[in-house]
Formats: sequence, structure tokens, C-alpha cells
Amino acid sequence: MESRLAALVIEGLKRAHVRFVVGLPDSMLAGVYVAAEKDPEIRYVAVTNEAEGASVAAGTWITGGRSVLVMENSGLRAACEALARLGLVNGVPVTMLMGYRGDLGERFHWGVNHGMTMEPILKALRIPYWIIDREEQIVPAIGRAVVHGISSLYHTAVVFRTPLVDEGK
Amino acid sequence: MKRYELLKQLARLVTAEDLVVTSIGGVKPEWYSLMPSNGTMFADLLGCATPFALGVALNLPHRRVVALDTDGGVLFNLGALCTVGKELPPNLTIIVLDNERYEGVVGGPPTHTSGRVDLERIAEGSGIPCTATVREIENFFEAATQMLSDGQVGLIVAKIEPGLFKDIPPERAKESDGIEDKYRFMRHIEKLEKISIRPRYALE
Repeated sequence: MESRLAALVIEGLKRAHVRFVVGLPDSMLAGVYVAAEKDPEIRYVAVTNEAEGASVAAGTWITGGRSVLVMENSGLRAACEALARLGLVNGVPVTMLMGYRGDLGERFHWGVNHGMTMEPILKALRIPYWIIDREEQIVPAIGRAVVHGISSLYHTAVVFRTPLVDEGK
Repeated sequence: MKRYELLKQLARLVTAEDLVVTSIGGVKPEWYSLMPSNGTMFADLLGCATPFALGVALNLPHRRVVALDTDGGVLFNLGALCTVGKELPPNLTIIVLDNERYEGVVGGPPTHTSGRVDLERIAEGSGIPCTATVREIENFFEAATQMLSDGQVGLIVAKIEPGLFKDIPPERAKESDGIEDKYRFMRHIEKLEKISIRPRYALE
């Protein structure tokens, strides 16, 4: 059964006329990848790393196919060079949806570092972001991030934190 | 085979209806001087030409899309070939300009393709159905002609000599930056597809 989180994300994507979901699977947003792949109105493109994903998403976007990149927040580090070049040199936006691994209360030692670096990297790259933790924020946050990408021609991000996301066992 | 000669042949095959995505490197000024329209996205990132072109090809399946990638670019992001092999966009042709070196770096140090690494075999193993390695200009033209018309995704490894073409006429020299390149490409797509990618007011 599709999770409430996944259903709301898909609703937000459709309201924002997003047609492509580019992703590298992670646990926190696990249901979103599955829902995107199943949805007949969305083309899900699985990639091998987040830098590649940023480039694929940029390629669809600049030709009129609105897209988002879905990933764990560690993917932000993997995608840094691609995001810097695409955003700062070409001005082609990538809207990212990511789970907040390493948030206060993180239970996995390997996840703590993701939280330590996420916001500093978003700030270093001057990427506007919205950290959300309530269901009613999901649809408007996605809509605003997509619209801001269009108006600014620069990247945007929505970060999903507890209790919205499944932190894993 | 020199890159400029190869690009001249490619310019005979690419029409104003087609779209091209280039890697960084010497290919940019040379292709700019030859290209038939604003239908080229000059991406400024090593390793992004093929995945960027994949995104273009997936979004506009009715258009032929050419990725002008390099040995250094493909090696930087080998996983992209696997994604192409999974998605199999029939309208995408990848041309890898393989001079076996990082030409833009002082001294032109070798890439791994100068040794035993074979990008065509990697592409085959990634599931790309149509591949070729060419060393002569006639073979390139033949392979490119076929791959641009066969309706399936293909990859050509073109072994080229190092060296930049030095005689580009001043009026055909590339002076634009990445932002201008992006606008030209985006506006070209808007006209070609009769769509609005970046409306004056972005409505939710």
C-alpha cells in the first residue's frame, strides 16, 4: 500500500506539473520512488549516483520537462560539482527532495555526518530550502520549490524530517 | 582523424531539427563554429554531457539528440552509460571523442583509454545495443549516418588525434558564457516545440 508521504509527494509533483522523477533510492523516501515508478503520468529515471541524476534532471528541465531529483541528503555531497556547474555556470535549475538523515535524534552512527554537512552545503551553494515535518507542508513545499526553480533559474530543495520520514530500523 | 574534421562531417548529418549536448573541452569552440543552429547545449561540466543528453532525449522523444562526450567525460561518470543502457532512448546517439588524454590540462596527461580501457566494450556491457569504434573519418561518417537513422540508442568511440583547430574565423569564434548558451538553447527549444519553459510569471 502506498504510504501517506508518497501519496502527498506525488500529489505535490502533479500539481507542480512535474513529469520526471530522477532518483537514487534511499530508505527515508523509499515509498516515493516506488510510487513514482508506478505512476503512469510520471517518468521515473533511476540513476547510479546523484551527480549523474542532477545532469539528467537538468536535461529534462531545460527542454520543458519539469523534473525533481529525489535522494538521501548524502547525495547532496555526491552531486556538489554537478550542482555547482549546472547552477552557477549554466543557470539550469534542479529541484531536490531529500530525507533529513542525521537530524537530531539520529539512531545510526553512519547517518550523523549527513546531517552535519547538509545545511552548510545548501548554504554554500546558496540553494533555498525548506525543511518540513508536517504533512500539510508537503504539497505546498514542492510547489514552491518548483516555482522558485523556474523564477530563479537556480536549484531549490525540500528536506523531509521526522516524523514525516521512515528513519529505518 | 582530427576532431574538427570529424565535427565537419557530423555537421553534415545534424539538422536544425536535432539537438546536441557537448562536454567541456576543445569540442566546444570547434562545434560552435560549425553548428547549424542554436540547438546545442554547451554544458560546462565533466561527465554530464551524456546524462544531460539522456534527459533531453527522454523529454523530447520525437527529436534526435546527440551527446558529444569525451573520454575524460565518460570515464568521470561511467554509471551514466548504465543508465542509458537501462532507459534505451531510441533517439539518442553518443559520440565519444577519445583523444586518450586530458587535453585541457597542461602537458595533456593520459586518460585510462590510452591503456587497456575500452569504452566501446563498457558501453556494450552497459546494455547499449549499437556500438562502434572508429579511427578513420570515412568510418565515422558511415557509423554516424547509421546510428542517427536506425531508431535505437548508439555509441561511437571516435579515436581522434590530440590538438585544437586553430583557424576558426573570428566571426565564428565562441564568445558566449554558460548563461548565454543556456538562454539560446532554451529559447530555441521554446520556438521549436512551441512551449514556454520559463514563463514571465511562474505560477504554482
